Amino acid sequence: MQNRLEKAIALAGAAHTPAAGVAPSGWAVLLRRMGRFWRSAMSNRGARVGMVLVTVLVLVAFFAPWIAPYPPDEMGAGMSLLTPEMAYPFGTDEFGRDIFSRVIWGARLTIQVGVIAVGISLTVGTLTGLVAGYAGGWTERILMRLVDVVFSFTETLIALAAVAVLGPSLSNAMIAVGIAAIPFYARVAYSVTLVERNRAYFDAAYVQGAGHLRLIFLHLLPNIIPPLIVVATLGVSSAVLAAAGLSFLGLGAQPPSPEWGAMLSAGRDYFNQAPWIMIYPGVAIMITVLAFNLLGDGIREALDPRQTV
Amino acid sequence: MKYWGKTALAAALAIAAGGPAIAGDIIWARDGDIDSLDPHRATSTLSRQVWYQIYDSLLEFDDSGAPVPNLAKSWEIAQDGTLVTFVLNEGITCHDGTPFNADDVIWTAERALGEDNPSLTKSSWGDIGEVEKIDDLTVAFHLATPFGAFVPFMADQFTSMLCDSNAAADDFGTGSAIGTGPWKFASWTKGAEVVLEKNPDYVNYGRPIDNPGPPLADRLIMRTMPEAQTRMAGLRTGELQVIVPPIQEVKSLQDDPGVEVYVAQGTGQNMFLQFAVNRPPFDDKRARQAVSHAIDKDLAIKVVYGDIVERQYCPISKGVFGNDPEFCKQYDQDYDPEKAKALLAELGYGPDKPMEVTLATWTGDSRERMLQMLQNQLKKVNIVANIEVMDIGTLNARDTQENNKAEGPGYMDLMGWTWFDPDLLYLLWHSPGAYQGFQTPELDKILEDMRTTVDPDARKEIVHAAFKILLEEAGQVPIYTPGWSWLYAVSADAPGFKIGPFNRALFNAIDH
Amino acid sequence: MASFLAQRLFAALLTILVTTVAVSMLIHLVPGDPVQIMYAQSQGTTPEQLEEVRARLGLDQPLMVQYIQYMGRVLQGDLGRTIRGDQPVLELLLARLPNTLILATSALVIACAIGLVCGFVAAYRRGTWLDTLLMTSAILGVSMPHFWLGLILLFYFAVHLQWLPVAGSGAANLVLPAVTLGVTNAAIIARLTRSSMIDVFDQEFIRTAYAKGLPRALVLYRHALRAGLVPIVTMIGLQFTYMMGGAIVVENVFGWNGVGRMAIQAIFQRDYPLIQGFILMFAVVVVLVSVLMDLLYAWLDPRIRNR
Repeated sequence: MQNRLEKAIALAGAAHTPAAGVAPSGWAVLLRRMGRFWRSAMSNRGARVGMVLVTVLVLVAFFAPWIAPYPPDEMGAGMSLLTPEMAYPFGTDEFGRDIFSRVIWGARLTIQVGVIAVGISLTVGTLTGLVAGYAGGWTERILMRLVDVVFSFTETLIALAAVAVLGPSLSNAMIAVGIAAIPFYARVAYSVTLVERNRAYFDAAYVQGAGHLRLIFLHLLPNIIPPLIVVATLGVSSAVLAAAGLSFLGLGAQPPSPEWGAMLSAGRDYFNQAPWIMIYPGVAIMITVLAFNLLGDGIREALDPRQTV
Repeated sequence: MKYWGKTALAAALAIAAGGPAIAGDIIWARDGDIDSLDPHRATSTLSRQVWYQIYDSLLEFDDSGAPVPNLAKSWEIAQDGTLVTFVLNEGITCHDGTPFNADDVIWTAERALGEDNPSLTKSSWGDIGEVEKIDDLTVAFHLATPFGAFVPFMADQFTSMLCDSNAAADDFGTGSAIGTGPWKFASWTKGAEVVLEKNPDYVNYGRPIDNPGPPLADRLIMRTMPEAQTRMAGLRTGELQVIVPPIQEVKSLQDDPGVEVYVAQGTGQNMFLQFAVNRPPFDDKRARQAVSHAIDKDLAIKVVYGDIVERQYCPISKGVFGNDPEFCKQYDQDYDPEKAKALLAELGYGPDKPMEVTLATWTGDSRERMLQMLQNQLKKVNIVANIEVMDIGTLNARDTQENNKAEGPGYMDLMGWTWFDPDLLYLLWHSPGAYQGFQTPELDKILEDMRTTVDPDARKEIVHAAFKILLEEAGQVPIYTPGWSWLYAVSADAPGFKIGPFNRALFNAIDH
Repeated sequence: MASFLAQRLFAALLTILVTTVAVSMLIHLVPGDPVQIMYAQSQGTTPEQLEEVRARLGLDQPLMVQYIQYMGRVLQGDLGRTIRGDQPVLELLLARLPNTLILATSALVIACAIGLVCGFVAAYRRGTWLDTLLMTSAILGVSMPHFWLGLILLFYFAVHLQWLPVAGSGAANLVLPAVTLGVTNAAIIARLTRSSMIDVFDQEFIRTAYAKGLPRALVLYRHALRAGLVPIVTMIGLQFTYMMGGAIVVENVFGWNGVGRMAIQAIFQRDYPLIQGFILMFAVVVVLVSVLMDLLYAWLDPRIRNR
């Protein structure tokens, strides 16, 4: 939940150069321009590092059953509390479960958190912002006021309130984290929509008699996607952190789930005897969050060259 | 420890750790705070442990667990057990200096049993019609029906005697508490600490500790420290005198000459599995028996707790009237995965159709580790258990809800209760029951008889009849004892600690 | 200036109003029967008993009536009583709020001290190895889960080395939580300070000042810092909100006796009156801080001051 300001910058950057390089004529153009946009992003060293890390993470998650030597909850894979060694690179926990295998399997849950939480905030946030920006008038005022209100709390508080209502579980934690981040996406979508709405192509489409849905989904949506990619990439990192934090507090994943935050929390009882139980999941969280932060930063700079060093 | 290895730099820079312990203070660090100072408003062990320091009950338990005189110097049972008369000791004073007499007893009882704000454990007092003052030092309890568990209940913390001067305070239970116990209430900083001061006028009539007068130390401070490793550090640096040790560290503490580890015996606690019995699959006793056969209780206990808990065979705990492991072993389900599979096959479950259930418990004391062991064992007979860990209050509510739900996956939980008398079985399993779960008409009848039977031999027969049903039908599957708040690690600098029966911590003789 | 402030105050009031609506309706969003969840633990579960509780809490009334009753109580300072232990919610919260504020403020001071200096230096030495080093550390800091950092610090410094006392609630016990919270947030402040200062350095008047031959230190101090400060102040206001949010987690790591630790317990215990009170109080604190920050902002920024 550290990354609100990151996103605030992304938002500011996006507002300055709303459609960075994307010509205002819908999906076809967007797809064509994405290539250039991609190359530009990948020219940034941080973004390349981030991209490599993210790719590794996704591959690890996908191939977990082949990479991990043991199933994540297999007790007695080794003796209990083994120090890291060749056969158990990250050591074992109190039940003799292989920490390495657990961390590998945990990558799957982390990807899930990223996809579901960001999926929720992206969908709801974008729609809210788009509709508010497009409709104007009272709809705009009410929607954006609400967004402002939610925005003024920290994500932590909103996520906690959501978990308090839904009850603790990993899927509820994902939902909670997703809800908490909606305002960011809504604000970005809104500010970009406002700019796009006043462009010539939009007027032209309007004059040609395009319907509401056509205007929103064919013309506005493709143009607000690039800035939203930045927000969503950075959003994955804060979602992963937030969900791990909830699991750490016992409000997310339940045992024996190899969710990293939950592993770390359970490992502290053994910190004196076996610190590796909580160190490796922590490192895994940090690398994941770092990867998405680097990638997000890189893409943002590609979108807004003003900030490129 | 080895893994970190102390560096020379660390040794060179190590400054003596912070706040020096004040001589005369006993600081007892625990994992949670009390809920209330009012014995009628809470039920948690963390609260009960503190009440026991501030208040006395009419009776006490001696080392064998039998009720003995305390505030009351004698008691008499008449009219077939429906009239119990207590005679109080003379000269006992409350913490505010007022004399303790029959009015205080009546005030306490009427407060607990009254309509407007009854005690949470009102039903355990029995069916009390009237509490009568005979004279200043004599009180009579009139019961509508005989109640075998009434006398021992008068030694419980739930019947702590409150002084009637508490009526004058509008913050009784949160900011003030007047009793007659060895320690006087001084302050409660919520979430942080409860501070008690020595009661210089204390006379020990019944507590099983070798100190007839006031406590030796000046203050007793109960501090809330949720992180187990920091409690450990505090004990080792001498900041703390008594801590609730993390289970994982008990071994290393036992080897530490500077620390004494106390494991409470005869706590009355029992940890058992129970089921949502009003819907499939656990409405069928074969499903419950299969679970019980599938789990290797001894192995699970050994892996998670080592030798600091014991296997429990009976529905009520060791040290409680009627407990008899040899008797109970005849009826429980031994570890036999093949038998479990056969029972499950009869119900249509197997490798192609695993039984999916929820397995719940409450937070703390490594119970979530116990569940992971059980989950692992259940998997081997094709029972897929999803673990849920929650607060104890939530778990209590959840159990009732699950028993009232007609649909959904099977539900069972690792639950714990503590009581000093088999009357617990009435509370749990007599219809409707604490969770509106397992019950049979036959068991109802037996439990009713148990309540009104006072003769020990006859009562024991009845208690055993109840055990037989509960175990055979696997309505309650006993696993281990004790289960919570039973470990105390005490610094060698503070000798004199003792745990009485039913897990009562006695600080009266600690010299620090 | 007056209209600016009036507008901000209106927004603040609106936020609190919306919060009260959300908080008072919270209990209706709970799946299942919240009354049973809450009271089964303490007060019996027969349908009659549950009905009685519903009536006592006013939950059988129309929503609008419930809200008005809730507001009536809140305005009299009555946030209800806890389920566990039957204690006044407001009193419990107020007793712990200072601890949370102390933690958040100390962390903010640490974060600003580190963040402002690092950000300024990085901007000033833009493009050098120092800039790269500082900014790499910053992105690492942003990526560090603070519950993890906190535990490592706690176990290493307090438990293993025993450099700090663990058992109290005094200043020495504040060090680790404040550092944990401060360091992870310092990274954010550093990055923002850097970009804000870079903008300033690039601006015409700084170049002019240099061109006029003014001493470097004077330019940096009088011109650049002043100009760069305005966005940074707003940002610090926002930071305080994150500190409050972060404190919820950090308090639980260190057992710091603040509202955050109590809130997590309340969630576990499904103690809805306490959860509701916590959210409402948190909202009020956040809004008050943002109003204060607006005042400061208005005072600092001549464009608003003179409006």
